Amino acid sequence: MWFNVCVCVCVCVCVYHFTDEVIRKRLLIDGDGAGDDRRINVLMKSFTKWCHSSFSPEEGFSQYQRMVTSLAQCEFSMGKTLLVYDMNLKEMENYEAIYADIEKSITSAHEKIAECKKEIQRAKRIRKNRQEYDALARVIKQHPDRHETLKQLEALDKELQQLSHIKENVEDKLELRKKQFHVLLTTIQELQQTLENDEKTDSDDTQESPMENGD
Amino acid sequence: MGPVELLHMSVFSQSFSPCGRFLAAGNNYGEIAVFSLSAALSPDASEASQKPILNFTAHDGPVFSLLSTDTHLLSAGNGEISAWSWAELIKKSTKAAWTRKPSYETSLEIPEINAMIINPKDNSLIVGGGDNNIHIMDMETGIFKSVLKGHTDYIHCLCFKEREEEILSGGEDGAVRIWDARTNRPVHCIEVFKYEECARPQFGKWISCLATDSDWMLCGGGPSLSLWHLRSMSPTSVFPLPGCQREAVFYQDLIMSVGEGPHVSHCLHGGTVKAQIPCTPSSLNTLALNLKNSEHRVMTVGGSSHQIDVFTNFSYRAFSLSF
Repeated sequence: MWFNVCVCVCVCVCVYHFTDEVIRKRLLIDGDGAGDDRRINVLMKSFTKWCHSSFSPEEGFSQYQRMVTSLAQCEFSMGKTLLVYDMNLKEMENYEAIYADIEKSITSAHEKIAECKKEIQRAKRIRKNRQEYDALARVIKQHPDRHETLKQLEALDKELQQLSHIKENVEDKLELRKKQFHVLLTTIQELQQTLENDEKTDSDDTQESPMENGD
Repeated sequence: MGPVELLHMSVFSQSFSPCGRFLAAGNNYGEIAVFSLSAALSPDASEASQKPILNFTAHDGPVFSLLSTDTHLLSAGNGEISAWSWAELIKKSTKAAWTRKPSYETSLEIPEINAMIINPKDNSLIVGGGDNNIHIMDMETGIFKSVLKGHTDYIHCLCFKEREEEILSGGEDGAVRIWDARTNRPVHCIEVFKYEECARPQFGKWISCLATDSDWMLCGGGPSLSLWHLRSMSPTSVFPLPGCQREAVFYQDLIMSVGEGPHVSHCLHGGTVKAQIPCTPSSLNTLALNLKNSEHRVMTVGGSSHQIDVFTNFSYRAFSLSF
């Protein structure tokens, strides 16, 4: 157990030192900031160092070269960021344009929807009318064709006329025969009457002549 | 209301309020429930919004017919007609504005009232029921001014043709009679069961649903649901629906009908059944369309269940209100 405590203490101390080391290391490495910021800081520092310290001409010159390259790098990086900034602005404009387009198409889609709704109402009405028409047509078809019925009617009419003609003729003949028979009968009767009358006058004559003789 | 009562409940009638935001439904226990459609259709609707905001017993007998005028809800039950003000009902007050009874000839039994419609031209209420006669009451004075006699059995349904001012009535005796509303005289009598294409003798000859749309008439019941052209008095299409239809309406280019069977049938004028939309009650008695309000344009159906199905898009059931 004592050994465990010892180990723990050692670990803690080590960690304490370790974190110290880490902090120191980080400060050394990143103390100047990251990337461009760091380059500018380093440049400033090296410039001040170059100005204030005395170097041999070759060292001075090499230091000067290093500073110039560092400066060039900074300028390059600045150029890059400016271009990126321009690009962002242009992208923003592009997006604005697209946004406006989409707005327009949304409103036009709304309008189209409204129109389509109207169309659908019209189409429904048309369908209803067609269906009603079909239903009525079905019923009408069940009844026979008008031309046929008219023709049938005409044929029947003609037949009727013919038959009535025949009837008239027959009636006329009947009348004529009736009259003829009537004439015949009356003549016969008259003849009978004349014969009877003759008989009577004959018998009257014979009665009268004996009366005359008796006087 | 115990679970057994809920199980045996049948919804017989429905009516929307004049503003279109409320639905009143009547059941076989004589109760009327008022549901708030705006609450049930709102995006944050919950279980509670599908329950009635007001539920009261209106009559002793079943409420077979409900009708809304511009200000009042008329309910018919146990042979009498009661009027309730919609404004009062929304405020949950259940006091009837008036209660009247048509003059019945027999005083022994009280005939039930099966159908009520309003004649908007002369503001009269037309009532048909169990005593085989149609009674016409003037809405302003409350006097029953005339009686139309002709049916030989009780009247199931009534309908009104606005243009020609004619009343159509269908009854248990299988006859659809057309009366002139101005002179109160019978004009036509169509005996649907005598037409072979419509008649279904296995179900009987009674007519339980009537609807008109200018020159066309729908009638069904025992005989198949059929579309008639009134000018020529001939059946033009017969719909091949298996059960007996209890209510049918014209809507745009469709015909919607409910009856035996747990579905709403959508049919075309030509005689084809376009769709059958399933619903919760096992057989349906009433169908109502809320056309007064464009926001709450729904169709509600009720039947032998305590639930009333609501259709926001007429092709499928959205949710159910329950008593």
